[in-house]
Amino acid sequence: MAQVELNKIGKRYAASGPPAVHDVNLTITHGELFVLLGPSGCGKSTTLRMIAGLESISEGELRIDGHAMNQVAAKDRDIAMVFQSYALYPHMDVRDNLAFGLRRRNFDAMEIARRVALASQILGLDPYLARKPHALSGGQRQRVALGRAIVRDPKVFLFDEPLSNLDAALRVSTRAELTALHERLNATMIYVTHDQVEAMTMGSRICIMNQGRVEQVGPPLEVYHHPANTFVAGFLGSPPMNLLTAQVVAGPSGLGFALGEQVLAAASVLQHLELPLAVGQSVVLGVRPEDLALGGAAGPGNGDGLGARVRTTEALGAETLLMLELPGLDTAVRARVDRDSRPARGDTVQLLPDLARAVLFDAKSGMALARRPD
Amino acid sequence: MRLRQTLVLLLLGAYTLFAAGPFVWVAMMSVRTTTEISRNHYAWPEQWHWHKFADAWFGSGYQVYFTNSTLVVCSAVALLTLVGAMAAYALARYRFRANRTIYFILFSTIIFPPQITVIALFQILVQYGLYNSLIGLTLVYVAIQLPLTIYLLETFFQRIPGELFDAARIDGYGELEVFWKIALPIALPALSTTVILNTILLWNEFLYAVVLITDESSRTLPLGIQRFMGDQQQDTGMIATGLMIAIVPVVLIYVFFSEKLIKGMTAGAMK
Repeated sequence: MAQVELNKIGKRYAASGPPAVHDVNLTITHGELFVLLGPSGCGKSTTLRMIAGLESISEGELRIDGHAMNQVAAKDRDIAMVFQSYALYPHMDVRDNLAFGLRRRNFDAMEIARRVALASQILGLDPYLARKPHALSGGQRQRVALGRAIVRDPKVFLFDEPLSNLDAALRVSTRAELTALHERLNATMIYVTHDQVEAMTMGSRICIMNQGRVEQVGPPLEVYHHPANTFVAGFLGSPPMNLLTAQVVAGPSGLGFALGEQVLAAASVLQHLELPLAVGQSVVLGVRPEDLALGGAAGPGNGDGLGARVRTTEALGAETLLMLELPGLDTAVRARVDRDSRPARGDTVQLLPDLARAVLFDAKSGMALARRPD
Repeated sequence: MRLRQTLVLLLLGAYTLFAAGPFVWVAMMSVRTTTEISRNHYAWPEQWHWHKFADAWFGSGYQVYFTNSTLVVCSAVALLTLVGAMAAYALARYRFRANRTIYFILFSTIIFPPQITVIALFQILVQYGLYNSLIGLTLVYVAIQLPLTIYLLETFFQRIPGELFDAARIDGYGELEVFWKIALPIALPALSTTVILNTILLWNEFLYAVVLITDESSRTLPLGIQRFMGDQQQDTGMIATGLMIAIVPVVLIYVFFSEKLIKGMTAGAMK
């Protein structure tokens, strides 16, 4: 186990070009499963490769267990990495794949055999030790890649989208195996993925990255319910959070949000804000699809309803997804409602948002407006 | 359908005759004497003079020529494979400023016909005391085949996923070890192709050999066969026998390794 610290880490491929990674400050604590999540090209894999020593660090400092690692070669960082494509040596059988790294480090034959046997037993690889990678299924290859990391007994495990090449069913089972492995080994793990479900279910903390920068770091549910900005709000969740531009207006019962031709009472949102809103202020109201109920469903914080017209209905079996139009508003609204609610296209319905769960963002900067501590 | 098949068979048969015909003819001549050949060029052997092979081998110096060819070709192919693989790996896997410039310069030398370079090479070998030596000829063969070897191997090395090398580096292996233990074994199909191609090409190479070797004891097989071609007359029977001694190893290589050759050519073309 080890602590990994990234202090103002940056990566630039060309001196005059834009940075691929910029000003990343992270501390991954002992035994944590830390997830780097973001869209393609956001810099998460580059950051992981800098931690691994496969990419040079242009700016900042990397420390593992308090030791500076910027100039230390990959092989001397005491890390192990599992790659997206598994990177198994095709000309070696499974046993040799597992033992290859240990032989280089001058472990004696008995110790190599012991570690290989242990990893093989943990991962269920005993029947496959004499096979070459081409004779293995995707899931088996994934386990061999994991085994190659486990035998090293490193300070830090690095995972670069290890489940991307697996089919959906296998991904679910392997995810559970990885989580169990983390608990068993109690190792520090840094996991890169673009899959939100992996991040939400596996990470002790998740770090959302965008365009080379860190947008937010926190426990998965914390980031989900309290996104720091509109990017995080729109990235996490499927369907993503509804982000509706509104203007603060004065109403008979206090401040409200003008959403197109309608006004929504703002009281249940305002009570959570640190600073008051001003009339005329532009904000972005963020409401998750699951926090929108159809008229008649009561709940804490429900404001007045909004009239909406159904554009599409998608009955998924376990739930129904609706795409709705609010009069005067260009942005479509997505709602996740009960599976038995199936309004037809063109129907007018009443939407009841649970505003206690809503998030307000500044319309110019996209940053979440500060909330009072709970 | 049957007509189409018949037509295809006829075409294939005609091409087989066209391609294999001269070979069969030379094979027949190799067991006939020159007198018999002069009487009837295309006749089937009345008597099979197998002793001609022994005469050529022991009596006409073919033992020496064959040995020289084997030494030169094996040395050149070994050097080509080693140096070519290392150069191709460096060009394929490392980013450095002159990478594409070096690659272009190497690749562009393929377009030069040997007639342009042979005189300069002759002068260089004379200057360094390597003229009329097997070492000199070996080095020339390495120089002329290196661009093609690098071109074939560079394409293959480029297709190997970089993560394999990253994994080896994390496992603790240095750059040279990664090349030896990972890149080379994976590149075996492509290496086999270059070995086979280079062996076949250099075994039959005549122009550089005839310019750079005049000493009888240093002649390679193509030059040895040329011995029987005089200005006024030629020993057709012994030429044919010599040709068969020269051809057989190449045919055997092709018969046993053609599948590897094709596999190596197409290796990595499909995911």
